[in-house]
Amino acid sequence: MYPLFEIPTVGGPMLIASIATFHILPSHVATGAFWMAYFIERKAITQNQPELMEFLKRFTLSILIFCFVTGSLTGVGIWYSATAISPRAISGLIHNYVWGWATEWVFFIIEIVTIYVYFYTFGKVSDKTHLRIGLLYALAAWISMVIITGILGFMMTPGKWLSTGGFFDGFFNETYWPQLFTRTSMMFAIAGSYAAIVAGTLKDGGRDTIRKIAGRWGLGGIIAGALFTLWYYTKLPASALENIQQIAYTSMMLKVSLVVGVVMALYFLLLALGKGGFVSPAVGILMMVVLFAGIGGGESVREISRRPYLIPGYMYSNQIIGHDMSAKGVSSEVDKFNEEGILKNYPFIPEDLRVITADNYLKAGEVITKLECIACHTMESGGRNSLADLESGLTAEDIVADILDDLASSYMPPFVGTEVEKRAAAAYMAEVLTDGEAPDAEWVVNGN
Amino acid sequence: MEISAMLSQLRDPMGVPFFPVVFQVLMVLTFALHIFMVNIVLGGSFMAIWSRLKGGDYNIRLSKTLAKATTVNLSVAILLGIAPLLFVQVIYDPFWYSATLMSGWWSMLFLLIIMLGFLALYVFYLKGRNGASGGGIFGWFTLGAVLFAGVIMHMLAMQSLHPEEWVKWYAPGGVMDTSGWAFNAFSIERFLHFIVPAFINTGIFMMLYAWYFKPRSDMDGAYLDWVAGTGAKLTLYAFFVQIAVGFWFLLGLPADLAFIYNPWVWVAATLALAAFGMVVKAQKDPIGSAPLLGLLSVVAVLGMSITREVLRMTYVGVYEYSIYDYPMSMDWGSTALFLATFVAGLVVIAYPIGIAFKAGRMNAEAAKEL
Repeated sequence: MYPLFEIPTVGGPMLIASIATFHILPSHVATGAFWMAYFIERKAITQNQPELMEFLKRFTLSILIFCFVTGSLTGVGIWYSATAISPRAISGLIHNYVWGWATEWVFFIIEIVTIYVYFYTFGKVSDKTHLRIGLLYALAAWISMVIITGILGFMMTPGKWLSTGGFFDGFFNETYWPQLFTRTSMMFAIAGSYAAIVAGTLKDGGRDTIRKIAGRWGLGGIIAGALFTLWYYTKLPASALENIQQIAYTSMMLKVSLVVGVVMALYFLLLALGKGGFVSPAVGILMMVVLFAGIGGGESVREISRRPYLIPGYMYSNQIIGHDMSAKGVSSEVDKFNEEGILKNYPFIPEDLRVITADNYLKAGEVITKLECIACHTMESGGRNSLADLESGLTAEDIVADILDDLASSYMPPFVGTEVEKRAAAAYMAEVLTDGEAPDAEWVVNGN
Repeated sequence: MEISAMLSQLRDPMGVPFFPVVFQVLMVLTFALHIFMVNIVLGGSFMAIWSRLKGGDYNIRLSKTLAKATTVNLSVAILLGIAPLLFVQVIYDPFWYSATLMSGWWSMLFLLIIMLGFLALYVFYLKGRNGASGGGIFGWFTLGAVLFAGVIMHMLAMQSLHPEEWVKWYAPGGVMDTSGWAFNAFSIERFLHFIVPAFINTGIFMMLYAWYFKPRSDMDGAYLDWVAGTGAKLTLYAFFVQIAVGFWFLLGLPADLAFIYNPWVWVAATLALAAFGMVVKAQKDPIGSAPLLGLLSVVAVLGMSITREVLRMTYVGVYEYSIYDYPMSMDWGSTALFLATFVAGLVVIAYPIGIAFKAGRMNAEAAKEL
């Protein structure tokens, strides 16, 4: 267990979700756009339409800025924010999938090299060579998706990895193929949406042609994406489907993504039919924002439906290892912490806080509460998923009996720690967080 | 809790999937390449602004070239920074995560500031490309952003080296500071030791630029000679500063580490001395010396990166932490996947790099045959 990093008001999960949702836009443009660029460049060459090359230059420069500045840095941003919120989960992923990420990085190298060479050799090398470099970029970018999808899928359905610990057993998990096909389809939809924005900046030649192409690719992508998403849902574990139905926020976000899907399909249809004259850059950006909301909906569903885990069957949302992982020689921490106490096993506190007394129980309670809850809850009133609001009006005894003893029956991890630690956490929540009645110190320390 | 026990407890219980030394070698190698590119970004953006401020035909041309090159160099620097960041989390996870978590907002700010700096760089470059004389403010912003990002990364690295301070920093008086705003460690001499080479390597980069375009008959030979000469002088002056900073850094290290007696320090110093000799010699023929000097500068940065790692091992060795006894859970399949992809990837990128290299050195008509 590492030091805690508290993000007030919005909370850690929302910070990660915002960065991750935004990242999907540039990353999917980066993976999808060059298939479209390859198609357009071929068309420009074979049908002698040089105005399309002008679009491609602008398209590529804008991709360099949008995808290789905001895209690459928000990609690292997901990693940084997830590290700052859940370092043990990131560590677990890295210690299993370091070679997967390193392999993805090799494809990033190919992407960076090929896109710069592509951009700076417009009109300078033969058509055939230029096309080949564009295709090489498109392939490398898509393969980076092929790799990262394995790791993303693992976080939902670790599959046989739980019993074997094998890289490929976790990589090719139950949701891998449907998720790869969904993302592949969606990359065309997102790239289509992006191409429509860039087309809107053109003053003349090629603008209408590009809008139609963007509409067709976008429509095809979104329809295929919807079908593969249905396939994906059939592969989700029962617990995830239960979460989607039971958690109001998740089912609402699912509806948001469905509505956005329909709106985007209509938008692409208009573009494909040549009725996209109204799509100025501003309208295109607005539609990208709509798409962002839909992606946010889908990602929220994916993220929340795996509760109470970060790595299902292994690590809880609060980073406590909840189950044995025999193949890697790892034991669950639940029994150990229940017996020895979580404070005894948390290195980052002074020694005098490891044993709870009448003098320190509030300080100790704060440590325990934050260790176990901060991954999903904010502490202060008015914050997202606020503990202060959720437990307002409850006494420490109520919190123990009605909440902490009953966590395992919900989509939350069970409380882990000794009984005195549980009472100290409840005392902190009742007395400090909700500004309520102070419990009897004797009850906290000795239970009576 | 005793520090070595704490570090051992913090290690990931699943172990590492291959021999730790392999991750260490990759980490050192990729860090060297990363910091080399960071050097060129820093020095290149500074020279691009400086040249634009000075004005005149040659300076404006140099400014445009460096601004354009810096957009590519920054992309490559970011790309190359991902790998050491990944590998450090494999073998030094207790140190990296502890340092980062205490300073969560700084680590977030690090990315935001680079992103804004990168966007500003594009504005600076595009304004200059289109002939506008303004935009210097965007260039300064980029330079400031990259420097500030360096300050943050340096602070995180320094915090990670002092596990004996972690509890005091994180829970002063027994109350946890979960704000993520901790900024507890900074060594100006160590920081400068990584920053001053920016000017050395940028000078060499300018010499290489001149060497690369020299064969082109449609390029202005006098301009290229001027660029190479300016680069050679920049490298020489910066080298003098770096020697002074190097001694300051070395002598400022904790005496109980006895790092000055470490053989690696002397290997690195010998490399630096050889590079210095070459830089002095290069003043007479900057263009002809460029390729060898370029190679030597990469080797010197690699030497610096190795020394940095040896210093880290010395720091953490005090607490009996050694990456070589990290428990292993071997995974041959994924290791083979990476190694095969890595080799194949190098072969693949040779093709576009070869095309770009040839196309840039040829006259426009000849390049169309490629």
